[in-house]
Parts: sequence; structure tokens; C-alpha cells
Amino acid sequence: MTERRPAWLLTPPGLIDYDVANEAMHALARRRLADEIPDTVIALQHPPVFTAGRRATEDELLWDEATVTARGGAVRRIDRGGSFTFHGPGQLVVYPILGLGATPDAAAHLRRLEEVAIRTCADLGATVDRRADVQTGVWAGDEKVCAIGVRLLRTRVTLHGMALNCDTDLSWFDGIVACGLPDHGVTSLTRLLGRDVPVDEVAPLAIRHAAEVFGLGFADAPEEIERPFRAAAVA
Amino acid sequence: MTSIQMPQLGETIVEGTILKWLKNEGDQVKADEPLFEISTDKVDTEVPSPVAGTVTKLLVAEGTTVPVGTAVMEIDDGSGTAGNGSSAPAATETPTAAPAPTPAQPPAQAPAQAPARQAIATPAPAMPDRGPRSNILSPIVRKLARESGIDLATVAGTGEGGRITKADVLAATSGATAQPPTSAATVTPLPSVGPAAAAVMVAPPSMPAGQGEESEPMSHIRKAIATHMLASTQQTARAWTMVEVNVDRLVRLREDTKEKFQANYGVKLTYLPMVARATIDALQQFPLVNSRIDGENIVTPRFVNMGIAVSYDAGLIVPVVKGADGMNTIGIARAIADLAARARSHQLQPDEVQGATFTITNPGPYGSLLSVPIINQPNAGILSLDAIQKRPVVVEDDAIAVRSMVYISMSWDHRLIDGELATRFLARVKHNLETWDFAEDLGL
Repeated sequence: MTERRPAWLLTPPGLIDYDVANEAMHALARRRLADEIPDTVIALQHPPVFTAGRRATEDELLWDEATVTARGGAVRRIDRGGSFTFHGPGQLVVYPILGLGATPDAAAHLRRLEEVAIRTCADLGATVDRRADVQTGVWAGDEKVCAIGVRLLRTRVTLHGMALNCDTDLSWFDGIVACGLPDHGVTSLTRLLGRDVPVDEVAPLAIRHAAEVFGLGFADAPEEIERPFRAAAVA
Repeated sequence: MTSIQMPQLGETIVEGTILKWLKNEGDQVKADEPLFEISTDKVDTEVPSPVAGTVTKLLVAEGTTVPVGTAVMEIDDGSGTAGNGSSAPAATETPTAAPAPTPAQPPAQAPAQAPARQAIATPAPAMPDRGPRSNILSPIVRKLARESGIDLATVAGTGEGGRITKADVLAATSGATAQPPTSAATVTPLPSVGPAAAAVMVAPPSMPAGQGEESEPMSHIRKAIATHMLASTQQTARAWTMVEVNVDRLVRLREDTKEKFQANYGVKLTYLPMVARATIDALQQFPLVNSRIDGENIVTPRFVNMGIAVSYDAGLIVPVVKGADGMNTIGIARAIADLAARARSHQLQPDEVQGATFTITNPGPYGSLLSVPIINQPNAGILSLDAIQKRPVVVEDDAIAVRSMVYISMSWDHRLIDGELATRFLARVKHNLETWDFAEDLGL
């Protein structure tokens, strides 16, 4: 990329409440649609939550909601593409809110999200790749390390994004048929590399690659933009 | 009237599901107001209206999955004529070589991707790098197959690029042979058709490379071409007609003016744009040759989107000169030169290879005298321009003279066209080429 579009970067620390973050993300996307703000990338972690895209079916949630609650988690039905996934501590979530321009190519956006994860994992020494024969996402063999799901406003502004397992507690994924694929597993960078790989180590790499892959030049977002996210930190 | 189509969200996204209508029949809509929600594998989106107007018709039910380009809604925007929505016009089916994922990939991916893929091939030998599309299975397809105990390896895919769709699995479950809707709806199956078609589908015995032979996987584009060509031969009732055209005047015109033309317009003057222009006129005279079958209907566009078969390093692709009926020969020459150059440098956008209403193939420069092309579905015909050659011909007063002659022929779908129409159409093309004064149309 020779020229980079100016963009805002938000990296609220701690675990950010899913509902607040989701609502704030939608508010930013609507402002992006109206061209009131530049492209914006949010990188954060959530407390434990299962989210169901609109392709999800009820039988893909394997635990009942009482079990989920007892474990300190929650279940949310949301508006992105894809099936069930899990977000929680130890997982880097990246939400790029980008204008796709006059001829939006959503498939290219998915490929770029994958590319960010692939380059990030490669930096750390983990060998991962796409699995065009299975599904969007980034995989180590038959195990997914990065889940991807996207929503568009008016086909041209992106919402949601990617979730890369760093040192996620993978036992949470026993609660769902992740991404609607019963025959495929999940993994994390920690498991792939045989050492603890915390989000703090991964996030700067992912942000750098996001800037390259999406062609963005990051500046910190104004305080008023980041405030709702910071206020929703639960830990 | 504006027809709203399932939008093209990216080249590899071939179908979408209507999740929810946000507007109902009779509702007023403003331009860019969301009309409906769609879901694809990993992307959900609202689809905005390209126009302001009144919703007159919802064409599919919520929950229905349709290919990209399928008309799903009609909006009366006061224009009266059937226009096109935000997607490519009449793009109900991708033409011959359209699924070409390689050119549209963001270049930024390539360097990091290639080594990573090689690396992963070692720990997972059971996972060959297979075609991108024919082997993508949506979660619903996997789930259905799992639940019904169907082995997907035994299911023939009828989706884009041979992809197995939900309908294929359902058809396999009910014991029916998956057949594409066009042929199923319009061809009365004769008793012998079933077994004969089945026999064609039986794969020949595997014959791996031996000594002195090399084996390499078919490219994605090769596979896509193979699928489309085979589908066309199986699904059309192909017939063929030829005329011989005296192009002596065109040859002289070109020889006299080609340098001036290139200087004026920046592109080479070839015979193809002249033949295209003559063909477009004939298509307007005989619109059925410009039509297609949709279910049990015949759809006849009032416009001509001229597909031009272009060979390039990866195989064959058919870029489309959109709205060719509104162009003179100069405009067509420029459009063809631009599309062909960008096809060869892998720069075509997905919508530039969709929506052809008729196709011309041009093997002449390579020396062929006669070709029998395969129809680029869903077109009704494909015209072949072969090599121009000096021949002794009988002219007026029974004299024999040397003239520049060419065979122009058409493969046509007998489901739509009969021999008389095909012949009158070709006769019109011949008449145009032999009588038109192209000098004026070429601005010379």
C-alpha cells in the first residue's frame, strides 16, 4: 500500500461488555455510513458470551442457557453473518468499521480479515491458512483459530469482524457447534505454539497487519468516540 | 419500473438468502433506503434501494436462497420501462468462463498466502488444494447431508461452478436426479433421455500419469470452463447454420483506413467490431435470437449485451460489452479492445463478465475456416467469425473472380429458435456486412 487512508483506532483495555460494545459499534457504523467519521478499527476483549449469527440454529447451542449463566456467560442473538461463536477473555476481537466504496466487495473483505489473522499468526510462528473447502476463517488443519463474521450496512459499511483465540479457555467452545461445523474443532495460539500467548502480545501485531491489509493509517480515536467502550469495561 | 436483484457482494459469493423484507408491496421507498436483509455464508447485509418509488412486487419468499443476479423485487420508479437495478442487467447466469477467482483477489494477499499454503500441505496430506467453488459446502448443505445420510461425493452439484446446493441434497434425498431448472422445466423428458444422460455422467476409469507423462491439477478456471461447456452441451438443443459472406469491401476499407483509424481512436481497426455491429442490428430485427429461457418463460431483453469470447493465459473468458446496441462501430471497437486487454491482464471486474445476451467468438485470426462453438448459456446462440480468405467465386455474369470471403456461422439452441429464424438472422448479418458503408460509422 503506498497511500493509507486516515483511520481511527480504538483499543479499550479490559473486558468490554458485549451489548454496550455492539451498540456503540453500530452507532459508529451509522456515522461511517453518513461519512461523519473515518474508517475505524476497534480491538478489544469481551467477557464470556456466545453470539448467534442469523445462520445459527437452536440445536447448535449445546448447553442450556442456565448452564451458560452458571458459568458466567451469556447468549446473544445478533445481526452478523455466520452461526454460533464464542467471545471471551484471552480472545482478540477486531471490529473494522470500513467504507467499502462504490463497488463493495464483501468477499474481498472476508479475505482481508483472514489475511490479517494469517500474517499475525505467522509473526508468532504459527502455521495457519484459509480452508476454502470448508468455510471462511483461519485454520490450523481442521481446527479454527480465528472466526470471522460480518454485517454490512447498505452493502457498503462493514460491522463485526474477526475473533482470534490467543489464550482463550477453549472449554467454552464445548457449549456450541462452533460456526455450525460439528466435525471441526477450535484451537488457540497458545495451544498451537505450546506456550502462553496473551492478547497483549498479539494485539499490536494484528493492528499493524490490519493497517497494512486494509490500507489504513491509524490515529487514536477522539476521547468521545472511545468513551462508551471504556465505560463498559467490566474487568 | 426497476428490477432489484440479489446483489453481487463479491465474486466468490454466488447466492444469497432473503432473510427479511423490510418493505412490502405498496410501500413507498426513498433512494438508498434499505429494502431487505440478505444472508450469505459469512456476510449479512441490508440492501438499499437504487431508486425512489413504490414497491410493486416481491418476487421470492423470505427464507429463499437465490443466485446472485436473480430479480427479487420490482419498484415502480415512474420510469415506465424495465430498467436494471443495482446489479448487472439480466445476470441470471454467469457466462462461460465467468468464475475466475484469481484476477479479483486483492494482490496484497498473494505473498503471504502462498508460503502458508505450502506449509500447511505437509501436516494435512488428506486435504488436497481443491477448487474453490465446487467444493465449498454451505453449513446447511453439510447439515442436511449429515442428517439424511447422503454421501456428498455422490451428489452432482448444479450450483455455480458445480457447487452442491441445498436443492441438490434434497433432490438426492428424494431419489431424484438433480437437474438444472431450465432444462427440467422446458424439455419433455423422453424415456431414453434418463439412461442416456446418466451414461454421459459415468466417469471414465482413472488413468494416472505414467512414464513420460506429467500430471498437474486442473486450474479453477479450467474446471469452471469444463463445467459450463459440459452443462451447455447437455442442456441445449444445439443446431448449427453457416453463411458465406463477401467481405471484399470491408477488407479494402480496412486496408485503406486502418492507420488513420488507429491514429484517430487509439485502437486497432479489426473486423470483429464491424461484425459485432452488423450482428447487433440483426439481433434487433430478430429479438428471439437475443433471448433466453427462464423456467417456462422466454425472456427477451430490449438491449444487447454482447459477450466476446477472449482467450487468455488462464483459458477462456467472455467479457461483455454492455449496452452494445447503443454504440457505433467505434464505440464497440474501443469497448472490445479495453475488455480484451483487461481480460488478458486479469483486471476484469466480476460484473464485466456477466449478463451477455448473445456471444461472438472469433477464432479467425488463428486460421480456422469453420467452427462449431458451444452456446454460452443462457444465450440462444453464439456466432463464430472465422478466417477471411481470398477465394475464387462466381460473380455477376457467371464470371469467376477472386474475392475476400468468410464463413460466418452460428450455433443456436433449437429450444428457442428454429431453422428459418436462424437462417434469416444470418442472412441479415450477411446483408449488413455486404451492403453497409462502414466508413461513415467509423468516422472516416
